Amino acid sequence: MLGVRALFGIGLLVTSRGGSVLTHTGACARIASNIYSKDLTHRQVCTMANTIKYLGQEEAQHIDEELFNEYSFSVDQLMELAGLSCATAVSKGYPLQSLLKSPPRVLVICGPGNNGGDGLVCARHLKLFGYEPSVLYPKRPSKQLFQNLTTQCEKMDISFLTEMPEADVIDEVYNFVVDAIFGFSFKGAVREPFGDILSQLKKISVPVASVDIPSGWDVENGCPDGIQPDMLISLTAPKKAAHHFKGRYHFLGGRFVPPALEQKYQLNLPQYPGTDCVYQLN
Amino acid sequence: MNHSSNEKEPETIEPLRYLSKTEVATIEMELLRDYRFGQQQLIEIWGHACAIAVTKAFPLSSLSKKQPTLLVVCGPEQNGSIGLVCARHLRMFEYEPTIFYPKRSPQSMHQDFTVQCEKMDIPFLSYLPTEVQLLNDAYNLVIDAVLGPETEHKEDKEPYAGMLVTLKQVKIPIVSVDVPSGWDVDEPAKDGINPEVLISLTAPKKCATGFSGNHFLAGRFLPYDIQKKFELNLPEFPGTECVIEL
Repeated sequence: MLGVRALFGIGLLVTSRGGSVLTHTGACARIASNIYSKDLTHRQVCTMANTIKYLGQEEAQHIDEELFNEYSFSVDQLMELAGLSCATAVSKGYPLQSLLKSPPRVLVICGPGNNGGDGLVCARHLKLFGYEPSVLYPKRPSKQLFQNLTTQCEKMDISFLTEMPEADVIDEVYNFVVDAIFGFSFKGAVREPFGDILSQLKKISVPVASVDIPSGWDVENGCPDGIQPDMLISLTAPKKAAHHFKGRYHFLGGRFVPPALEQKYQLNLPQYPGTDCVYQLN
Repeated sequence: MNHSSNEKEPETIEPLRYLSKTEVATIEMELLRDYRFGQQQLIEIWGHACAIAVTKAFPLSSLSKKQPTLLVVCGPEQNGSIGLVCARHLRMFEYEPTIFYPKRSPQSMHQDFTVQCEKMDIPFLSYLPTEVQLLNDAYNLVIDAVLGPETEHKEDKEPYAGMLVTLKQVKIPIVSVDVPSGWDVDEPAKDGINPEVLISLTAPKKCATGFSGNHFLAGRFLPYDIQKKFELNLPEFPGTECVIEL
């Protein structure tokens, strides 16, 4: 009976590079059959061991670079998947039917970098899921990608605030806040207007859902008197700061890590359920 | 039905619209020009949704062969790139795709999609065996991402003519992406590919009216303004799903 191995063994080209024509027989059959089976066993073992890796800042940056340079992903591709994960996680933690305030208003605060971009994508998907997001985007990068993401939101009738509301106004108007200010590249001092924004966030009582890193926290050591979010959505893999996370919901998102990259950095990622783009870690 | 910020929708449910070739092109142009979506972004959205639709039509547990293998046949243009992204996500969903991508677009964006698949260790075939039995035995299903609404009657040219002849003979199920290859957007081809499953992207096309197989709508990203402008009357997606069975 012919199977996949035989298909490769007959001498059809099988290459993971897709370049020149090669013909293998037995050797290729063994390689081909190992391409997939090794992976599944590895994942089963890791899920049982449950030792997901928490990344340091440099490691996170290396992985990011590899995704773009070695694996040829584009920022807009991965940002779309990351933003979708954030919106999905938020929907699981704060389902529409559970919200206390009507209409289902949500405040999304976007910072000056890629974390902010994730927030813009998240806002757009939240709108499609039936929420009413408003975006605060005080410092916008000049890159075309961010302008495009902004336009996409504006044309979905997502309102953009001109200034950060006071804490008591936020509590009155919004059901929760999505913190997409600073991500894993954050280092050093917080520049305005984000210092003021973060102090307001520390005063609110509605939940905060942070994208990748609670903003203002050191990416590895956390921040005892920083914001204390209710939800953290770690993207790709959690960072060391997540060890200090004390909120109710810790989700993993960004389901795009190639198996080879996962193995190289020994990320030990859990098995996402079905086709879900988020995995609840706690 | 749609969560619009305007006045309430009427109680009667309007029928889902099936798009003509011109409407498909106009919508895509508006998405890129006015709404500033990126092409790579759209292809990622479509490919991801397409993969989810495949898992609904053929759950892992339903596959009859020992390994969850499938063949993704990709054409040279956008439909093919959507196939590449679909293959990559199916890999993430624990399927074992193999890709046949004979005529590759020189555009760097499409090349990026290829590299992404290669680096996921997805094998690429160098030629499609004309012996159909080999395909029937090796794969559980075939994903047809050869020709889409954007292609101008390539079905008579090589290598597509040969590919389509082979695909028409396979006994395993065919899943077509957006438009069954060889069909005109506005009407089905009488002796064309006969897929078991059709995954319409964004909105169904006119040729899909009366499609007798399993029909899925995939891709949940269309701004409400466009939905209204073209009177698409899209069904309501449950929860956070991006695929719905029609």
